[in-house]
Amino acid sequence: MANIAAQRIQREFREVIKSEEVAKCHIKLELKNDEYTELKGEIAGPPDTPYDGGVFQLDIIIPETYPFNPPKVKFITKIWHPNISSVTGAICLDILKDQWAAAMTLRTVLLSLQALLSAAEPDDPQDAVVARQYKEQQSVFRQTAKHWTYIYAKGPHREAELEAKVSQLRGMGFEEHKARVALSTCDWNIQRATDHLIS
Amino acid sequence: MDSEEEMYDESEEEEVSDDDHNMVMEPEVSSTTATYDSQDETYPHEVLSPEMIVQHMIDCIKDVNTIVELPATITRILLNHFKWDKEKLIEKYYDGDQEKLFAEAHIISPSRRGQASGSSNQVSVSSTTRSTRSRAAATGRSADCEICFSTLPTTVMTGLECGHLFCEQCWSMYLTSKILHEGISETISCPAHVCGILVDDATVMRLVRDQRVRLKYQHLITNSFVECNRLLRWCPAADCGRAIRVNYVDSKPVTCTCGHRFCFSCAESWHDPVKCFWLKKWVKKCDDDSETSNWIAANTKECPKCQVTIEKDGGCNHMICRNQSCKADFCWVCLGPWEPHGSSWAALQRYLHYCNRYMNHMQSLKFEHKLYAKIKAKMEEMQKHNMSWIEVQFLKKAVDVLCQCRQTLMFTYVFAFYLKKNNQSIIFEDNQRDLEQATEQLSEYLERDITSDILIDIKQKVQDKFRYCDTRRSVLLAHVHEGYEKELWEYQGSL
Ligand SMILES: [Zn+2]
Ligand SMILES: [Zn+2]
Ligand SMILES: [Zn+2]
Ligand SMILES: [Zn+2]
Repeated sequence: MANIAAQRIQREFREVIKSEEVAKCHIKLELKNDEYTELKGEIAGPPDTPYDGGVFQLDIIIPETYPFNPPKVKFITKIWHPNISSVTGAICLDILKDQWAAAMTLRTVLLSLQALLSAAEPDDPQDAVVARQYKEQQSVFRQTAKHWTYIYAKGPHREAELEAKVSQLRGMGFEEHKARVALSTCDWNIQRATDHLIS
Repeated sequence: MDSEEEMYDESEEEEVSDDDHNMVMEPEVSSTTATYDSQDETYPHEVLSPEMIVQHMIDCIKDVNTIVELPATITRILLNHFKWDKEKLIEKYYDGDQEKLFAEAHIISPSRRGQASGSSNQVSVSSTTRSTRSRAAATGRSADCEICFSTLPTTVMTGLECGHLFCEQCWSMYLTSKILHEGISETISCPAHVCGILVDDATVMRLVRDQRVRLKYQHLITNSFVECNRLLRWCPAADCGRAIRVNYVDSKPVTCTCGHRFCFSCAESWHDPVKCFWLKKWVKKCDDDSETSNWIAANTKECPKCQVTIEKDGGCNHMICRNQSCKADFCWVCLGPWEPHGSSWAALQRYLHYCNRYMNHMQSLKFEHKLYAKIKAKMEEMQKHNMSWIEVQFLKKAVDVLCQCRQTLMFTYVFAFYLKKNNQSIIFEDNQRDLEQATEQLSEYLERDITSDILIDIKQKVQDKFRYCDTRRSVLLAHVHEGYEKELWEYQGSL
């Protein structure tokens, strides 16, 4: 790995460790290897959003050309959000692509992702299904996102009604996560979700 | 030395050699154009060597600078922003909002210059929530570089007019990464977040010391200069590296020093009589259909039913296997049953007809250099038979005409493919057929062995034939051009 990349990550790592955001448990950064090429990030769901109270883990890969090219970041924790793929965790965010600047850091990336959870950009979606729901059925979207946060990110809001629907499909022999995806995709309409799973 | 001067000086030194180069090149150009085509002269153009391209860029910048009086490197960014349209730049510069113009071109306005630089780094770009806070704020004699995160003496911190400072080493690595790995030259911006101010040539030359990277940068800048400039076009011949300069854009032929003759407007080989638009459509069609045609060519002809090898003995593609016990009805081209071949079959058949002829002339043209070599040998032999050098020149001329005729014929098939039948198209097809026959005869004469007995006889025949071909070619082209002027041509297929 290029000298500057490792040097940068070392220093950034130290910076994040002592930052006020870490002190308040808003963000976290862990090294996954000694070469500073792979890291694990963590962000807290921002207040007043369906992600509030959840903890989201991120996979961070540092390219050899860092900081002249952006780090590769994706969500490990499953999340229901228009700009994040509900399947792969891939993120659509300008600063992770062409708007990346060498003077940005992992700290700014984590804070930007937190900002993205507060303010989605449904017109530049990564997940078209989620984006449609976000635009057309805000309340269903919020409920779904809260449910996913509860199930996958240790969130506090149990959506009993939605859970019951997942159980119902499980009772029909469908795998739990698949059932949840189908129901989320079909705005929690059992009939349509079943059709979706069968087709 | 000021680094701005450096970039332009390097090229100016080459100016001396340019002139030499130029002088060597001029006669070459005229010798290649002195053929039977008079059209080249009606479309003035100049061949630029790589050095001349750089010089031309510098001249453009200087021209504008005598009026706008800005640093050369800033003028280059502005010119690039206007696709090297000097008039448009000057018009916008004097008639419009200059501040807006600079902002759109991603440069700091000269009127605001010096305010940001040298002072602190509290430029208002860090106002958005996602941006970094400015860390590089200098504390006494040392400052933090936001790229390498090192605390360094302020003397090694540098930046653009926007005031964002980074250490020289980081700048160098940043620029190298952009130039070498991403191949970017015109659009490298300040590495600060949401800044976008463009890096100028002077900064690149000042901060990048690696000769390889500097050369690549100059190369990228020149390339972008040619590609953006409407009045310039790279010669499409492989490894040529020269560009053609014109005074106005037209779909007319230009001839490069390397000998390649092409259409300035679309960069394809010169394609009279067909228009750029239809040729483009044709090339695309050929690419799309090549799989079909390849399949057809690759398939051996066996009866799809009984596998007896068959020969096609006429124009019709409706085949009936001669094997008495088989007698299968099938299509020659696709080997499928004959039954479903309706109009789509006819369309394919029509396309293949034109495509085969187009390809035939194209293939023959590819052997052009071989023919020239063969003719040269013949000319030498004839000189041994008491003919003077002047007397044998007719052979070279004959090959010139042959090649021109093939080139024209090749594109007449593209023209004809999209042509709707009317009285004029019938005349055109007669002209085409006539020229094609004569051309094939000429080709045959030139292929023939020349013995001393038939020398005089063959000379007369070749001369008569190439003069005829040349005349017929002119007649055909004149007819098509007349048709364009009087709007006699109707097309099939969407425009
Ligand atoms: Zn630095
Ligand atoms: Zn800047
Ligand atoms: Zn050339
Ligand atoms: Zn053209």
